[in-house]
Amino acid sequence: MKKILRYSLLLTAFTLVMTSCEKDDTDMADIIAQYQIEPVSIELDNSQLNETADVPVTDENDSTYNDYVENTTWSKVINIYFQGGTAEVNGSVPGVMVQTSGAHVTVINMSGPVKFVVNGATTDGSLKFYGDKRFQLMLNEVSIANPGGAAINNQGSKSMYVVVADGTVNNLQDGSEYTMVDEEDQKAALFSEGQIIFSGKGVLSVTAVGRGGIRSDDYIRVRPGVKINVNSSALDGLRANDGIIIDGGVINIEVTGAGAKGVRSGGAMAVNGGRLVAIGHGDNRITTTDGVVDTATCAACYCDSLLTVNGGDMRLKTTGDGGKGLNAKQDVVFKGGSLQAVAIGAKKVKKPKGVKIDGNFSINGGYFYTYSRRSDPLDVSGVLNVASGYKTYDSSPKVLTIAY
Amino acid sequence: MARSKRKHLAALLLICIALIPTSLRADDAGLVVSAEASHKFSKRLTAGFETEFRSRNNFRTAERVSLGPSISYKVLPWLKASVSYNMLIENNREDLSYQDDGVSYNNWRPSYWGLRHRFNVALTASYKIQRVEVSLRERWQYTYRPSKTIDNFDFDEGVWEDHEVRGKGKNVLRSRLQLEWDIPKCKFDPYASVEFHTTRELEKTRFIVGVNHSIKKKHDFKLYYRYQLTGSGDDPNIHMLGMGYTYKF
Repeated sequence: MKKILRYSLLLTAFTLVMTSCEKDDTDMADIIAQYQIEPVSIELDNSQLNETADVPVTDENDSTYNDYVENTTWSKVINIYFQGGTAEVNGSVPGVMVQTSGAHVTVINMSGPVKFVVNGATTDGSLKFYGDKRFQLMLNEVSIANPGGAAINNQGSKSMYVVVADGTVNNLQDGSEYTMVDEEDQKAALFSEGQIIFSGKGVLSVTAVGRGGIRSDDYIRVRPGVKINVNSSALDGLRANDGIIIDGGVINIEVTGAGAKGVRSGGAMAVNGGRLVAIGHGDNRITTTDGVVDTATCAACYCDSLLTVNGGDMRLKTTGDGGKGLNAKQDVVFKGGSLQAVAIGAKKVKKPKGVKIDGNFSINGGYFYTYSRRSDPLDVSGVLNVASGYKTYDSSPKVLTIAY
Repeated sequence: MARSKRKHLAALLLICIALIPTSLRADDAGLVVSAEASHKFSKRLTAGFETEFRSRNNFRTAERVSLGPSISYKVLPWLKASVSYNMLIENNREDLSYQDDGVSYNNWRPSYWGLRHRFNVALTASYKIQRVEVSLRERWQYTYRPSKTIDNFDFDEGVWEDHEVRGKGKNVLRSRLQLEWDIPKCKFDPYASVEFHTTRELEKTRFIVGVNHSIKKKHDFKLYYRYQLTGSGDDPNIHMLGMGYTYKF
């Protein structure tokens, strides 16, 4: 009996020891797999975009009628040719005065619509416009660098139609230090107090080292066909106070400044077509005013007002601390097209998020993808309204995909 | 008579286990199996070598294997001093941490096997009241954990990274009060003890009830139940079934 008891105990102990080979870890394999997902690749894309040309509005009562350069007859033409340290002006229009100082050209336009055709190259020149008349600026293979400020500066409040001539490549660059003129703004390498409407089928490349790349104190419209590249190591890439409308074209923007935005719209922004690639590399810009600390995070696209996406292809990426792919301060309505927003920056001062919306977010069409490596891919402060009928609605800790 | 006492003893053990509250039964459970060889060099001096295995996770996961020598010396008839060393090969529990929101994951370190060295110095005072021996053991325990590089998954980065568990030493004072009954004509000696593990605070409390069984003074067996209350840390409270064998030569 005693032996049986002893052997039973030994056998029990042996069995328990031999069966103690299971791990007691939480099964994290599936969860970790979700965290190891890499984002889609977002890089500047200069490839040809097949898009149909837009049809100019012909109804004069339409609010956008004047946004179409075709709706104006441009019979008055002045040619400006930059050649190193000089600029040559050909043509004269009554009411238009053109002054040159080296390769720095100042135009005072008191006439009606005038078309300015510019070409040539200068590394120390600029083009400045005064006058409250709309005008066309045709960039016809021109390269302007201004070490002391903006390359092109429109002080007039009317429309500046920037037509990038078909097949041409044009370059604009500002300087690291701006020489300011009293009571005049000068906020970017290409700056306008009035609207800027881009059209044409050429390439415009803007390099900003002092301030922003392209900026309007009014609104900016980009039409199909044009290619715009902006590289800014200072402030925002493409910015407008009153709104941005992208109907088409290819826009590539890369900003590296602290707190800089690739695209920044103070007013309502609408994306109807084209391809926008905006990449922000900057970390936070922290400023202290009267003891109040303000932290501005980088964003590939930043909108202070309503953002409506009806079409087009938006690819947004930030790599800096707390960067946002899309940072919308009000509502976002997504009806079609494609938006891919990726935030892969650090989370030291602020949380990096693929898409951050302070208002409501409604989506009823298109393809929406957002990724954040170190925080929420989508942060909606208001109401998230995803209309039924979607084909895909995948949500994981780092990625959210909605597709119709 | 002896058989009747054994029955009573078994019944007592069962009652003790049955009295454990249900909430405690929801705790972890594990096994302690030990084997020791010891030799008495003189009336006062004894040396031994012990090895032990422990499991957790309701007996399903190996927790520790240890081995090491020990020496004890009877300073006085009622006072024994002892020193021992143990090499512990331990399966450290996983560690999962969360972000400030308490929901999002932060880091996950899976369980890993690591080495520790433990040194013990103890004084045991015994006093017999009729057939009950009361003993108090005060043990200073120093454990050193060498540094080790282990895997850690950083959920923020979404990557596995090397994490260095730094080497460190830890001092613990273990105070054990034990009662052991010497039942006439019975080869089973029941005992019960309570032990407190104290650092700067009370870390663990162990309650033990068990029996010792000796055969020809050469083979000692023990069977016990141990309940360990964890005062701090992430380790859960645990019920342990213990079995031990000592060969004396």
